[in-house]
Amino acid sequence: MLRKLRLSGILLILGLMVEALSLCWNNALSFMSFVVVGGIFFASGILLFLYSLVSSNEANS
Amino acid sequence: MIGPQTLVFLLIGASILLILVVVIRPSITASREGKIIAFLALFIVPLVAAGIGASEHMERSEQTQFCLSCHIMEPYGRSLYVDDPAYIPAAHFQNHRIPPDKACYTCHTDYAMFGTIHAKLEGLHHVYVDWFGTPMNPIRLYQPYNNRECLHCHSGARSFEDSPTHTAMMGDLKSNKISCTTSGCHDTFHNVNQLGHVKFWKPTE
Repeated sequence: MLRKLRLSGILLILGLMVEALSLCWNNALSFMSFVVVGGIFFASGILLFLYSLVSSNEANS
Repeated sequence: MIGPQTLVFLLIGASILLILVVVIRPSITASREGKIIAFLALFIVPLVAAGIGASEHMERSEQTQFCLSCHIMEPYGRSLYVDDPAYIPAAHFQNHRIPPDKACYTCHTDYAMFGTIHAKLEGLHHVYVDWFGTPMNPIRLYQPYNNRECLHCHSGARSFEDSPTHTAMMGDLKSNKISCTTSGCHDTFHNVNQLGHVKFWKPTE
């Protein structure tokens, strides 16, 4: 579970960094990088965190 | 005064610091407090940060500068500076009848329910076609220009309502039976293929 939490955190940090970078410019490329690249990092980070909760519950039971 | 962009950056910085606590010491999740911190750091805060970032991007995507960031739109941006009041977009832009920083969006969004969402989806389609497809040449609207977009501002305005021509055909204008833009009254728009033959207005600094 701890490994999943770490990985989830790293993915979310990457997502946040993409978001910060994308906000430095105002054009279609920065918008799309936020939506596509940032979105993938955010979604995978959050889903991995949720999965780590579910899998740890399964292991405990 | 802190602007919205600074607030987003502060939130992103705070989120990263909070996440780093969990990444560096994931063992804190053994305690109840640690679990709460992890839930905040890895779920709530990133969701809020992403939501605020998305909102900021949506707001920026309405700006003239954003629309003109695509090379293909460059002549349309130049057409806003044509020194001829017959050019409808240029006259609106130069006289601030529309907000100059949201010039494209103000005229090309739908003033209907979900119009903003519709405009954003069309914008995504523009980007897709520009990058992965072949854009129309010349560029055309997907659908004929709806009078509703003109009437959104002009309806109720004294100069518009006082005109006997407008009053006589108001019903037809509202029902789109007569188009504001193609029935011969106000039919000069961006005309980008004529930009080599027109004078341009230079705003004073």
